[in-house]
Amino acid sequence: MRLVLSLVAGLLLSLTAFSPAEAHRLRVFATVEKGEVSGYAYFVGGARAKGASVVFRDRTDGELHCMSAGGDGAFRWRPDPPQTIKIVVDAGEGHVGTLVIDRSRFMGARAQTEQDADEATLADASLSPLSRDLIEKTVDEAVARHTRPLLEKFEAMETRTRFNDIMGGIGMIIGMAGAALWALSRRKGGAA
Amino acid sequence: MAHIPDGVLSWPVLAAGGVAAAAAVTLGVRALDEQRIPRVAIVAAAFFALSLFSIPLGPSSVHLLLGGLMGLILGAAIFPAVLAALLLQAVMFGFGGLTSIGVNTINIALPGAIAGMIFAPLVAQADVARAALYGGICAACAVLGTGLMVSFSLYASSPDFAASSRIVVFSYAPLLIVEALVTGFCVSFVKRVKPELLARARSA
Repeated sequence: MRLVLSLVAGLLLSLTAFSPAEAHRLRVFATVEKGEVSGYAYFVGGARAKGASVVFRDRTDGELHCMSAGGDGAFRWRPDPPQTIKIVVDAGEGHVGTLVIDRSRFMGARAQTEQDADEATLADASLSPLSRDLIEKTVDEAVARHTRPLLEKFEAMETRTRFNDIMGGIGMIIGMAGAALWALSRRKGGAA
Repeated sequence: MAHIPDGVLSWPVLAAGGVAAAAAVTLGVRALDEQRIPRVAIVAAAFFALSLFSIPLGPSSVHLLLGGLMGLILGAAIFPAVLAALLLQAVMFGFGGLTSIGVNTINIALPGAIAGMIFAPLVAQADVARAALYGGICAACAVLGTGLMVSFSLYASSPDFAASSRIVVFSYAPLLIVEALVTGFCVSFVKRVKPELLARARSA
């Protein structure tokens, strides 16, 4: 038993030789800038899904557009008209990743609040509606541009397998073995 | 690649995999006793942790499967070991899928069990160098078997996967070499330090 433990410990230590790359689960990252969806597909751990098939679907799963991702797994498409879209990336061998982009991401703050009865009171009287639209559009684009690196970082952090999680999984397996041994001992005790 | 996610395979393939896995796991659990349970748990824990880590390779990435090594050490008990590890990977990390867990269990464990059954007597009787060689071949066979079974699972689910099915076997080639080297090293180490660990697998 000590031998098996030392062998397992050696194998686990060998993991430190690798970068924090994990099993090849396919993920999709995308943002909306200037009404255009842009993003990329990647395997958890960082490798990009080069040349993967990218399909844009509507709410009813109808195909809107189909393309191949670039060499860096990147894709870019402008839905017309803007609507809720589902991005389905297939890198083959059963590796499929999906992401839903809500319609509101295309419309900007102005469109979301245009039904708001208080809009008139919020509006600055010194600006024409055209100017307000332009400012809101510009701000939306600037925010999208500046938050993209943060979103990418967040996505990468979210998919990183944490050491504690792995140790938790190992603990659960050992716990299951303990439960099995306990059940076995009770059965033997009952039979005796 | 061996962790096929939910929504990829067809229902008949999922059902067949589920039934086969249930039967194989029952067989494996029946082979367990007090001495074997801790060993199964430790090997399952090693598989759970090691198969989470992969090395980017080309358009995809590869990770260890340890099917051959598990088959040699655990025998039929490889099925519950793989099922427990895959279940936790699916629930905790979303790797693989819950509906496809039966197919994934069979794809990884069955080639390992068969390779282990064939090579365990050879490893038990051989000297250290030959045992390492047999261990490496056993691991390579298990990886090849898993590649073929994953390929077949995809092809049986949909003809759209025909191209992927052909590619998947070739994509296992680098893993086949790495797995053979790792298993060969492990077998030579065990053979030198505690050979009865490999000899006992025959009775599983």
